[in-house]
Amino acid sequence: MIKVQDFEVRVPGFHLQSVSLNAGPEDVFALIGPTGSGKSLLLEGIAGLVPAAKGSVQIGGEDMTRRPPESRGLGLVYQDTALFPHLSVRENILYGTRYHALDTRTVQSRFDRFVRRLNLKNLLDRSPVRLSGGEKQRVALARALMLQPRALLLDEPISSLDPLFRDAIRELLRSLHQELHIPFILVSHNFSEVLYLANRGAILRRGRIEQSGTIRALFERPETPFVARFVGMQNLWRCSAREGWARVGDLKIRLNGPAVQGDDVFLALRPEDIDRVRENAHEYENVFQGRVVALDGRGFYVRVALDVKGVRFSAFWTRQVVSRHSLEPGQTVRIGFSSGSLHTIRVDAGQSADEGTLDGALDL
Amino acid sequence: MKPSRDTLFFALLFFVSLPLVLLVVLPLTRMLTQPGLADLWEAIADPVVLRALARSVGTSLAAAGICLVFGTPLAYVLARKAFPGKRLVEGIVDLPIMIPHPVIGIAILSLAGRNHPLGQFLNGLGIQVMGTYWGIIAVLAFVGLPFFVNTTKAGFESVPSRLENASRSLGAGVGHTLFRITLPLSWPHIVLGMIMCTARAISEFGAIVIVAYHPMTAPVLIYERFTAYGLRYSQPICVWLIVISFLLFVGMRFVSRHRRVEA
Repeated sequence: MIKVQDFEVRVPGFHLQSVSLNAGPEDVFALIGPTGSGKSLLLEGIAGLVPAAKGSVQIGGEDMTRRPPESRGLGLVYQDTALFPHLSVRENILYGTRYHALDTRTVQSRFDRFVRRLNLKNLLDRSPVRLSGGEKQRVALARALMLQPRALLLDEPISSLDPLFRDAIRELLRSLHQELHIPFILVSHNFSEVLYLANRGAILRRGRIEQSGTIRALFERPETPFVARFVGMQNLWRCSAREGWARVGDLKIRLNGPAVQGDDVFLALRPEDIDRVRENAHEYENVFQGRVVALDGRGFYVRVALDVKGVRFSAFWTRQVVSRHSLEPGQTVRIGFSSGSLHTIRVDAGQSADEGTLDGALDL
Repeated sequence: MKPSRDTLFFALLFFVSLPLVLLVVLPLTRMLTQPGLADLWEAIADPVVLRALARSVGTSLAAAGICLVFGTPLAYVLARKAFPGKRLVEGIVDLPIMIPHPVIGIAILSLAGRNHPLGQFLNGLGIQVMGTYWGIIAVLAFVGLPFFVNTTKAGFESVPSRLENASRSLGAGVGHTLFRITLPLSWPHIVLGMIMCTARAISEFGAIVIVAYHPMTAPVLIYERFTAYGLRYSQPICVWLIVISFLLFVGMRFVSRHRRVEA
């Protein structure tokens, strides 16, 4: 169990403040946020590598705030794996054992276990310098797990890997978490990684937690416009919302379920939730006629900018949809979306609700 | 194949710098090739020359050793920590490069004289600076320090602090991390720092000639032979000094590489 309370770290040019979170053995807790939001610094703060200016870090019920990193019993795995280049793979894995009062038999049995589990048998006498990204990551995991850490801290463990190895390491991390029953804290800015591995998390912005909770809540019920943008709700309008209807400019949009009411609220919608619909289709509560403004190919999908009575929409459609209907700028299309995929947010939520700064802070 | 425009451009740049390269190469080649084998043999058979060469090498290595012991911790602090006054300390480390050499000699003498408490203290211990090995080594450590500290500092900086963090998280304290991770990885730089420091020390003349004309080091002997007997008599000693320095540096490089392979 890791419990961080009112945690604060100051380094030149950056201030991480009022961070509270806890992660139990069943949790893979993701720290998510744009570059420079302080997520790696928070991880280093938990590990004791940067001193806390305020607040506390408890690990397994023990207050560790003033303890040096070597006595916190945490495993730390970096993106670049930080393997010791002058030692062999075997020496890397055994590096920490001498500091943990382990007898030879325990060391040997753990060594055998993790070498087998992480499939490192053929690498033991090699230099870590010449290993592939996936192999390095496995060695770094073995090195940390040898000491039976109370929690595993992972700083972007997958981002730098070849796409080829990513799935394998992701699956490995998931099964290791189920086996080990210790909290994992995962720093990441890769959503597919987070959605696959994590069950809870926090989104950081400028050194503060903007929202924390279950991953589902973060991605489906963002509490601030920043989080909405960050998790991919690219359609974000100011509107007035009353009695099941939202007014965005001249558009009347049907809402559903509990919604924030008021003359000035944010309405958010994911681009992938906007469908292209036929004439007289009835599967959506909201159907509008719009005009294609621009098409922007993004690899597997196309981002389509639309204008509906002066309101801008952004939709992600597959290349097939775009080519089947030979969409091009200026063309008129019908779009539809369910009221269930709409989400309302209070305008004053979060550090800064200003749309201008939001656009500047994020370019997704 | 026709050379590309880029190649021609770089060739042009090289030709612009050629006079400078020749300025180094021509005199050295001339000097190395001028003395005959008989002259060289005669010089090395002279016990005065032999002792001066040994003295130069010995005192320079001693100065490098002092820099190693006292300079390495400073280099590590400068590489890893930000603290108020760091720029000042870095400036002080660089100072010996800027100061004219005779000034260094005079400065050290004035501190070690009877009129200064430090001089009195050293005298009490029986340590004389003027005209002794103590004086020579002090001067050489002074002039070699910036070369050692700056090279070693660059070596420490080249070791990512993430490696140290990983070591700490695995249970190693600061000291163990320094000795098991940081020092082994920056060892080649440290050896390079010692080579630079030794090289700088071996070539020192201006400060030594003030602090200790005797016992005579090779550069002072070369100067003396030059003023007393002329060019012809100083050249063979120059050749020997260059050869010995060269062998010394190759040897140190070899040792450091060997150490690395073992590690």
